[in-house]
Amino acid sequence: MKNFRRGTALVAATALAGLALAACGSGKDSGGGAGLIVGTTDKVVSIDPAGSYDNGSLNVQTQVYQYLLNFPAGSTELTPDAAEKCEFDAKDATKYVCTLKSGLKFANGNDLTASDVAFSYKRIVDIADPNGPAPLLGAMKSVEATDDTTVTFTLAAPNDVTFPQILVTSAGPIVDEDTYPADKVLDDDAAVKANGFSGPYTITKYSKNQLAEFKANPDYDGTYGKPKTDKVTMKYYAKAENLKLDIKNKDIDVAYRSLTPTDLADLEKTDGLKVEVGAGGELRYITFNLNKMPGDDADQKLAIRKAMASSINREELSTEVYKGTYTPAYSMVPDGQAGATEAFKDAYGDAPDKAAAEKFLTDAGVKTPVTIALQYNPDHYGSSSAEEYAAVKRQLEATGLFKINLQSTEWVTYSEEYPADTYPVFQLGWFPDFPDADNYLSPFLTPYDTEKKKSGNFTNSHYNDEATEFADPTMTKLLDDERTDGDQASREATLAEIQTRLADLVPYLPLLTGTSVAVAVDGVDGVKETLDASFKFRFTSLSK
Amino acid sequence: MTTAEIMAPTGPPEAEPRRRGGPSPLTRYLLVRAALLVPMVWVLVTMVFLLMRVIGDPIQAALGGRLSPQQIAERKAEAGLDRPILTQYWEYLSGLFRGDFGTTLTDNRQVSTILVENGAATLELAFWSLIVAFAIGIPLGRLAARYRDRLPDVMLRLFAILVYAAPVFFVGLLLKLAFSPFGWPSSGRASVNTELTLQDVNPHTHIMILDAILWGDPAMIGDVLKHAMLPAIALGLLTGGVFLRLVRVNLLQTMRMDYVTAARARGVSERRVLNKHAFRNALVPVVTVMGLQIALLLGGAILTETTFEWKGLGYQLAEYLIKRDFLAVQGIVTLIAIIVGVTSFLIDVIVAFVDPRVRF
Repeated sequence: MKNFRRGTALVAATALAGLALAACGSGKDSGGGAGLIVGTTDKVVSIDPAGSYDNGSLNVQTQVYQYLLNFPAGSTELTPDAAEKCEFDAKDATKYVCTLKSGLKFANGNDLTASDVAFSYKRIVDIADPNGPAPLLGAMKSVEATDDTTVTFTLAAPNDVTFPQILVTSAGPIVDEDTYPADKVLDDDAAVKANGFSGPYTITKYSKNQLAEFKANPDYDGTYGKPKTDKVTMKYYAKAENLKLDIKNKDIDVAYRSLTPTDLADLEKTDGLKVEVGAGGELRYITFNLNKMPGDDADQKLAIRKAMASSINREELSTEVYKGTYTPAYSMVPDGQAGATEAFKDAYGDAPDKAAAEKFLTDAGVKTPVTIALQYNPDHYGSSSAEEYAAVKRQLEATGLFKINLQSTEWVTYSEEYPADTYPVFQLGWFPDFPDADNYLSPFLTPYDTEKKKSGNFTNSHYNDEATEFADPTMTKLLDDERTDGDQASREATLAEIQTRLADLVPYLPLLTGTSVAVAVDGVDGVKETLDASFKFRFTSLSK
Repeated sequence: MTTAEIMAPTGPPEAEPRRRGGPSPLTRYLLVRAALLVPMVWVLVTMVFLLMRVIGDPIQAALGGRLSPQQIAERKAEAGLDRPILTQYWEYLSGLFRGDFGTTLTDNRQVSTILVENGAATLELAFWSLIVAFAIGIPLGRLAARYRDRLPDVMLRLFAILVYAAPVFFVGLLLKLAFSPFGWPSSGRASVNTELTLQDVNPHTHIMILDAILWGDPAMIGDVLKHAMLPAIALGLLTGGVFLRLVRVNLLQTMRMDYVTAARARGVSERRVLNKHAFRNALVPVVTVMGLQIALLLGGAILTETTFEWKGLGYQLAEYLIKRDFLAVQGIVTLIAIIVGVTSFLIDVIVAFVDPRVRF
């Protein structure tokens, strides 16, 4: 009994003493603290570029790897990073040649040469990891180091103006040939140990999806310039509610992705915090499976799609559901991208038009109300999807022309079922790989790939499937033209034509465009500057 | 009949009888229990292995839809999943002996690394929550027994039922909302500064409080304790409610024993009877039930860790389950099964020392 009491007393005393001492000074040097702390709910799949193609991993890669070309903060103009210059070969426009700066080094002391660059791209294609960015390099036929400072890419099409932008995506980080294996993805701990980084920061401490400490790399010579903060720590959260509580209590300096609209509205009212909103780029839209959607023939299906386009109130979705953190999207190419138009507004107006919707259906002989099974995903595109799709259902049914059977499926199943032709009409979202109109078009509209025996567009909508009634050679040609047109004005005219055609055929129904949002405590600068259309969150811009 | 009644003591512990030759009853008991531990863990591990195969093809589950059939076949061959089930089973068992729990499918991590880094966090949470459970259950159970059927007893019994029945994530959420506005940490095992600094501790035990003590900074010890407080309370309440009722019932039954009556007849005060004679015996079943509670605690830890972002095994298990990475799940569940088995053994050992009757 006495022992028990003593034990309890000892534990209690230790706990109390610890708590009391919490406010006291440190007994040992703790290494200068965590520096500036950034919190996120994004997860890292892999630090190794060959094994990841997601926001969380890209965020780490942005800080630690160098790219041939890059976007400086606040700009979407391609600027040399590790490269001194990159250009199409004057004699052979399928060759894209980059010349490296001299004297580049990885943080582990190894030289960064053209051979490392060629190796970095080649291994992504060779490894073809299911989580990796190999599909981004579809336009690249081969890559080789012509000499120590020259890399030559051979492309499938001449003058492919989208290829230079690919160099800035998840496929673009340059890794150290001596420390990264050619045939498999390097695990994160080994990557940190190898220190094959040449970006503005290196990783000094790392617990996967818990904490990552970044320290400025003094040898970095690239687009972003010298980091304004020597040490930045990334804290990973599983729940947005915990991220919100920590930024509200100012336990962290910046919260970047992904707080709910309600949380942001609350934080906006909190003293000592700034909610910074930057250019967006995320697109939320409805996909029609042209094979499975309701309608007896192609004409009826098209009429149903047009009637839906005439019945949606995007403004209400933006203000009521998303409190303005998403704005109405009237094209698959969001406002702000060069070449973007408002094709859907031109074709269907910016407010619901019941009469127009009814006419589309009557003219095609569609019996109303049209019953539509509409699928959405509650866990992959933010927690407000349920609210968003409840509103879509309400708006469509308010016309009396539709009866919506709303269904939801968790992402693990959803991501397998939608490509397998399971859903007739369904929700998807798109976060672009690079800030160019083509990245909002080609992935959705390219034709059926007979060689790979699969749909060219990742949504599996069957739009532009070759040798079907949905084939669209006109669209294929327009896409080829805009991708290889070096003249910006004529390219934008082609992009406008594509968007008009898209609004006319409605294989997708764009709803909303996201803004990028970060919350920072007062005194932290540089957040706004990095929230640009390049979607790169650069620690180099941040300071406090 | 409740667990507490089954385990109610029937009299004071007796002295261990002396025997000539051969091992003592205590040694024999421990040897038998240790011998039983091996088949128990083996059965648990085998069940985990078989269950993971019953669910379906792990590669298809985690990566299907993203890989071509040929890539799936290559991945299966790489992971050894194309071999006969007995070969896989043998490799799985021999791997466990070497400390190799395999590699995760979705992010190419060594499962053993996850187990070391995150297992320590779970053990730490279990430890703190047991302290909370004892701190709540034992004194309040004694109080309830003392005021039997009076208002404090009724209130405490109600409290015990409430904390046992309330979902642990709900209690966690309430605690977070209640304490966070006062700056109380609502997630993580320590502040970012502390966590980063403690990674430099040598040896790095991954048990944050030990690392903080080894680092020798009182502020960091305080920081770690402060972070542990809310999750430990959320999880500890669950077990504390069980302990409260157990102590109360056992104490009341012990108080009816002949030796207690004899003590009273000798003129020993009621307080001394309760504290000196009855209380220790009433604790024996608590220790026994504690073994059973470990599994419950680990189950509750999954929800608590997720709520408080306490990055332990439960948190990882939930993450990998969502990703359907069944090879990672297999490794984590195997370790949890081993922990439950070994803990049960250790509890039996403790009970054998505390209560000599179990040795016979």
